[in-house]
Amino acid sequence: MSERPTIEQYQKFIQERDFHVFRCKKCGAMIAPPKGVCYSCGSNELEWAKVSGRGKLISFTVIHVAPEQFKDEAPYFVGIVELEEGTRVTARLLGLDPDQPEKVQLGMPLRLDYETGQTGRMYLGFRPA
Amino acid sequence: MPLRETHIVSGAQTKFGKLEGITLREMFAEAVDKATVDAGIAKEDIQAAFIGTFIPEMLVHQGHTAPLLVDYAGLRGLPATRHEAACASGATALRAGIMAIESGLYDTVLVAAAEKMTSVSTNKATEALAAAADDEFESSMGLTFPGVFAIAAVAHMQKYGTTEEDMALVAVKAHKNAAKNPLAQFQKEITLEKAMTPRYVAWPLKLFDCSPISDGAAAVVLTNREKAKKYTDTPIRIVGTGQASASMNLCDRTELTSFEGSVRAARIAYEMAGLTPKDIDVAVVHDCFTIAEIIATEDLGFFKPGEGAKAVREGVTAMDGDMPINPMGGLKAVGHPVGATGVKQAVVIYRELIGEAGANQVPNHDVGLMHNFGGTGATCVVNIMRRADA
Ligand SMILES: [Zn+2]
Repeated sequence: MSERPTIEQYQKFIQERDFHVFRCKKCGAMIAPPKGVCYSCGSNELEWAKVSGRGKLISFTVIHVAPEQFKDEAPYFVGIVELEEGTRVTARLLGLDPDQPEKVQLGMPLRLDYETGQTGRMYLGFRPA
Repeated sequence: MPLRETHIVSGAQTKFGKLEGITLREMFAEAVDKATVDAGIAKEDIQAAFIGTFIPEMLVHQGHTAPLLVDYAGLRGLPATRHEAACASGATALRAGIMAIESGLYDTVLVAAAEKMTSVSTNKATEALAAAADDEFESSMGLTFPGVFAIAAVAHMQKYGTTEEDMALVAVKAHKNAAKNPLAQFQKEITLEKAMTPRYVAWPLKLFDCSPISDGAAAVVLTNREKAKKYTDTPIRIVGTGQASASMNLCDRTELTSFEGSVRAARIAYEMAGLTPKDIDVAVVHDCFTIAEIIATEDLGFFKPGEGAKAVREGVTAMDGDMPINPMGGLKAVGHPVGATGVKQAVVIYRELIGEAGANQVPNHDVGLMHNFGGTGATCVVNIMRRADA
């Protein structure tokens, strides 16, 4: 896996439940979702890296009115998760009650998981650790 | 250095709302006619047109809108270019017009914008709007626009104690102002209780926290310092303009309780104008969702971070408050025909500053500011204007 990382492969890793992020070869910064350059140092030399899967909740919402293709999944959580490695991703939040969003604590520890949507598509997900 | 040349000498909008039986080009032509011939400005004087539309390709199956629209409005032959920046399309078209005048390339130009959204189903319109977010990494996960602003709201609530009721009060104010605005989509006051109706769109945002789907058009005529007095006794000078971009993805923002594009665009505009937030008498901000107004008033420096909600509670942002925000009703109650909004905001500031805002006139009106925001805040434009005699 020394080839230049691509978005297509990033998405494929998620579909295969094997989340990988981009890593800057120069400064080691972890980058997800993908960018063409490293915003920490400006380098465009990037490679694949695995992450611990540990993170914390930064903020979230519960989608009630969903676009057509997600309608049958609503209500569902979408959150911003900060990975232990520093970068933040947008992901589905799993194992929480969408009828009691006020009980969800920002900052709570989460662990990487995946969720299969109604269409068979795999979402990047996180659940309470 | 403040901009010297660009003056707004007329501005008009169509009614906003569900405009049955009127197509995109017809509403565009109506706004153009109101801003030109009806204002005593001959169309022959217009040398170029800068057009804002967001996504007519999906909404009315029409691309290449700039020549199409100016042709219908009787301006065939002019250089006409479309500017697209989601909900900030109108303001980016306006900036192109400002640059055209400041450069001296043209003396007089038209900036006009329109969007027809209600001819497709709400589902289809929602899908079109979603194209303003990052499809690859956020929309494809089921994150919607209300969802984006809901995530910002949750962060703001946690950090500053802002409440759902604070957000509802923004909606109550918007409807109160729009009730007096004959061009508004919703000309009806609502109670706090109604604004709090728990019909969640994206928790904690409810139905009344969201701006509606609308049709509408707006237009302004810009001209240089020399020509301005030829058209009106009350030209409005654009003294500062700022634009910035930010990440499309919310997860790439270090701060969720503030929109960095707004902060950056505002800083540029204030510096250019040589003014500070204290100098602003009246502002229109991009209230696509109630929380967006609260955050914008903080990002623009009217209130300290975290104190935007308090200002709403205390009536500071009301039409007769110390810092009137969206005195005609904002996107929330006047409507949000996406591409047209930025130009409509300029029309509102123009009318307020010349003292012709009717029942929505604010008492102090020397200096005004408009803040137009694209999509998730990935584009932001801030323009500062003042009466040429002020
Ligand atoms: Zn780096």
